[in-house]
Amino acid sequence: MRLELRHIRHVYSPGTPFQVEALRGVSLSVGPGEVLGIIGGTGSGKSTLVQHMNLLLEPAGGKVLVDAVDATTLKKSELRRRVGLVFQFPEAALFAPTVWEDVAFAPRRLGLEEAEIGDRVRESLALVGADHLKDRSPFALSGGEQRRVAIAGVLAMGPEVLVLDEPTSGLDPASRQDLLRLIRTLRDTGTSVVLVSHDTDEIAEVADRICILEKGEVRAIGSPSEVFYANPDFAPATVSTVAALNETGWDIGHPVRFRETLRALAGLMEG
Amino acid sequence: MPDPASISCEDLSYAYPGEAEPALSGVGFEVRAGEYVGVVGPNGGGKSTLLRLLNGLLAAGSGTVRIAGHDPTTEPFEVRQRVGMLFQNPENGLVAPFVEDDVAFGLENLGVPRGEMRARVRGAIEAVGLAGYERREPHTLSGGEKQRVALAGLLALEPEILLLDEPTSMLDAAGRREVLDRLRGLRREKTILHVTHHLEELLDADRILVMNGGELVADVYPAQLISDPDLLARNYLVLPPLLRLASGLGLEAKKPRTPEDLAREIQHRSPRRTEAR
Repeated sequence: MRLELRHIRHVYSPGTPFQVEALRGVSLSVGPGEVLGIIGGTGSGKSTLVQHMNLLLEPAGGKVLVDAVDATTLKKSELRRRVGLVFQFPEAALFAPTVWEDVAFAPRRLGLEEAEIGDRVRESLALVGADHLKDRSPFALSGGEQRRVAIAGVLAMGPEVLVLDEPTSGLDPASRQDLLRLIRTLRDTGTSVVLVSHDTDEIAEVADRICILEKGEVRAIGSPSEVFYANPDFAPATVSTVAALNETGWDIGHPVRFRETLRALAGLMEG
Repeated sequence: MPDPASISCEDLSYAYPGEAEPALSGVGFEVRAGEYVGVVGPNGGGKSTLLRLLNGLLAAGSGTVRIAGHDPTTEPFEVRQRVGMLFQNPENGLVAPFVEDDVAFGLENLGVPRGEMRARVRGAIEAVGLAGYERREPHTLSGGEKQRVALAGLLALEPEILLLDEPTSMLDAAGRREVLDRLRGLRREKTILHVTHHLEELLDADRILVMNGGELVADVYPAQLISDPDLLARNYLVLPPLLRLASGLGLEAKKPRTPEDLAREIQHRSPRRTEAR
């Protein structure tokens, strides 16, 4: 699915002395099989923005388009099935006695048949590598396991766009790697993925395009290489290292991901 | 009698109700007053359980915990007075309509005089870089800003011991630097136990405790940990990207702290250096 946001504006506490304009006309899009990375400082509007992607928040101005159709014309339940939103700390919403029941909750509400529900739960748990946890209580799991179960609950809806708000925050490095692998798998099967993170090193490894938000506006959007080399304050360690070398007169190009950067730098060491 | 250790655990074990496997088993260590100690290890390794035992949110199954000589379960008042704890998710802790009320909340409960309260609240808000946010409503803040409000509320209470459970996990690079700088400013003045998944935050720590499978598997200096690939791998720890680049280039011994450090080192080693201007 192609999800497009056009000139989205959002104001918190409008008409009061505490009015805050959180989004000031944000436009961006994500297409099938693409990972759009959204980065920005705290308070830049990232979380507010993602809540507009399935109209959990209504914009004060602008439009959300789902395959060129105005999202406000779709049924809310339909929209939320197609655009799956994983909040920050989604494990806070786990509630059922077993992992299986928790993941089955949303597809059951869609009115699917038991066999279909079973298939979806199995597939989603397998995708996040949590099949072995299906009979456990979600509350007895570790933070990383809970996170994966919560994400499986959204995947069980069969979303065409998956929006993840800081999905790796609080996870150990191994769980982070697993989650990045999951994002690549979903992308490769045609899901559109929006990944919000403040960890630029991590987002650099998986995003096809990058958007930098600043004070509720798009400061930059484009390929990781374009965006990171032009915005050194958001650059991952790989880009900062290469940029420092390029500045001294060497031309190493503009690698972004860890492996290509290591290869370029290793080439220098060999002469 | 010499001062008791700030934090001391002996043969500490705990199992959550209904779970066969213990979350913590046979953990023992001491932290002296003014030390800055990091805690790392995989999710489910026992880090958060340990913190909850230290401040008395959980009671030890067996073994002992002492905070400045006091037992958190039988002397909770003595312990809570000395220990401030910051959780992973700032959403859980914010209660008041405005930022300044939230920071003042704990002080109001302690009955601190009005004038002193104002000064402490102001100082704490400035310390986390939120001056000007006093009258903002917490729900309009980003996750990172909320985390800083929570930290300010903690600092206003002036505890001797800070237990930090991933205090920067919701912060961007700038916010993280700000909080880490502030924590560095508190060194020696406070005893700090800092749980994190980001090794780069602990490179200056006095020691690092590595927890895995509910056990304390290593108690080492940061330099020992980052130069021990086996210890790292066994505990699912990954070096920060900069150190991984350095290691991939055979420059790990140089331990670069910044991209510029690494760039200089590469230049220095490259046979091509004569070509550069």
